[in-house]
Amino acid sequence: MDVCTSSSTPQTETFPSAPAPRAPSLWRKRLLEDRVQLPRFWPVIQNLVIQDLRVRYQRSVLGFFWTLLNPLLMMAILSWVFSLLFRGIENYPIYLFAGMVPWGFLSGSVNECALCIIANEALIRKIFVPKLVFPLARILINLVTLLLSMGSLFLLLWPLGARPSLPMILLPAAILLFVAFTLGLSLIVATANTFYRDCGHLVTVFFQAWYFATPIIYRAEDFPAATQWRFRLNPAYYFIELFHDLVYFGKWPQFSSWLLAIVIALASLGIGYAIFKSQEDKMVFRL
Amino acid sequence: MPYSSRKKTRWYSDSESHGPGSRNRASSGVPLIELRDVSLRFINYADKQYSFKRAVLDLVLRRESPVPVSEFWALRNINLRINHGERVGIVGGNGAGKSTLLRLLARIYPPSSGTVEVRGNVAPLIEMGAGFNAELSGFDNILYNGAMLGFTRPQMLSKVEGIHEFTGLREFADLPLKYYSSGMYMRLAFAIATEIDPEILIIDEALGVGDAAFQERAKDRIFKLLGRSHAVILVSHDMNSLRQLCTRGLWLRQGQLVADGPIETIIDQYLAWTHAAKAS
Repeated sequence: MDVCTSSSTPQTETFPSAPAPRAPSLWRKRLLEDRVQLPRFWPVIQNLVIQDLRVRYQRSVLGFFWTLLNPLLMMAILSWVFSLLFRGIENYPIYLFAGMVPWGFLSGSVNECALCIIANEALIRKIFVPKLVFPLARILINLVTLLLSMGSLFLLLWPLGARPSLPMILLPAAILLFVAFTLGLSLIVATANTFYRDCGHLVTVFFQAWYFATPIIYRAEDFPAATQWRFRLNPAYYFIELFHDLVYFGKWPQFSSWLLAIVIALASLGIGYAIFKSQEDKMVFRL
Repeated sequence: MPYSSRKKTRWYSDSESHGPGSRNRASSGVPLIELRDVSLRFINYADKQYSFKRAVLDLVLRRESPVPVSEFWALRNINLRINHGERVGIVGGNGAGKSTLLRLLARIYPPSSGTVEVRGNVAPLIEMGAGFNAELSGFDNILYNGAMLGFTRPQMLSKVEGIHEFTGLREFADLPLKYYSSGMYMRLAFAIATEIDPEILIIDEALGVGDAAFQERAKDRIFKLLGRSHAVILVSHDMNSLRQLCTRGLWLRQGQLVADGPIETIIDQYLAWTHAAKAS
């Protein structure tokens, strides 16, 4: 049935045979195609982002304030509860802020991306759009929220001792790496959830557990030195530490932290991209 | 049977190239669309959501062929070349694979095997509301739909006048699309799809909507497109409009291309066959 008539060039027999001659060219073609297609469909991404932001805030009186209120309330509650438990952390609200806002971006993006292909079924089944557009749009929407809430929460925390410091100029780099990391995870989850719809539920639970496993509401140093290595198994730990260093401690992160963050971000992005692209064509049949 | 591997499937479109090269090709003998031995298979999973639990169970219990699967070949071994300036009408009963073929050409479905080559940009009018957003105004939708079809904002802004001209919906430009009637909707979609001057225009039964005056103008506009040696592919059950508009006919039956030739012959054959089928 699977008849192939695509003009296959007669290959010269070599021994030993050349290792996997086709695979690289396939991936190069996919990358090239994305490089052409994504700029072409940039207006579509733009539109998805703008429209989502507009719809989210157009009929609520407080508008953007709601995005701030949620982390603010969380921080208020946690500050109160944990100031009783961990007396060691000074400026605890700022510590919380430095970890929680980036985490909100990560979990928000991944959870939304899980549904992004299914939610845009109507579009995908009617017109050709590179499917990468949908996760990218979700990430950008969350990125806008991240930047806005970071900026405004920082100002709100001013009375509690939030002060800008010179190392904060590296914050864009940290955010960029974190976005790459998030995008990779989002692509994996988006692919998995399109094929297995129950993944979305698992992801929510998994992120709850991951949240507590990452030093966001507590400090890794508060644990005995013998168990410190466990945190190093957590890929999110390195990014959160970067944010802690830059925002809370106001110190320059170590070079090794940057290197690890870069490696993890690129690995996540690479794996996510590979998984997403290899399944992209089949997605339309599973909607 | 596993999914046919990517190696067999070449999916190629150079619709990106809006440069002068794409126009020059009109004179050369390269066909706009070339399908070589294309098949498309749909797999029906017993329940569409092949769950994770089941996948794990299948893996653990080493069950072959996970869920009772029924295959359905929507298209089988289609060979087709469409050249510049051809107006192709596709006929066939319900479920013959007409719309599937159009979607394949519009890159919505990938072929399960074989190669599809589409040279030039495609404007698909396959379903109502494809690439529109009901919340946005008519004007914004022109830009949005243009983006879907691969045109930048400035490029589309220069076409807005022409689109309003054709649709006569200028006074509704600020109205959200959800308040448009289906006729207005259709007019807008058709106007955009033709105003961008696509090399390949794909229309699925769209001409049925809209009043008589509009249908006449739509036909006019299709002929004008053809003057610039673009291809039009039309699916319809309205034999009269097919006879008027098309030069070449394709007859699909159960996913197979049973006849290909001048439109009159194909329609006559098809009608004769339907009458025979009805009689027996």
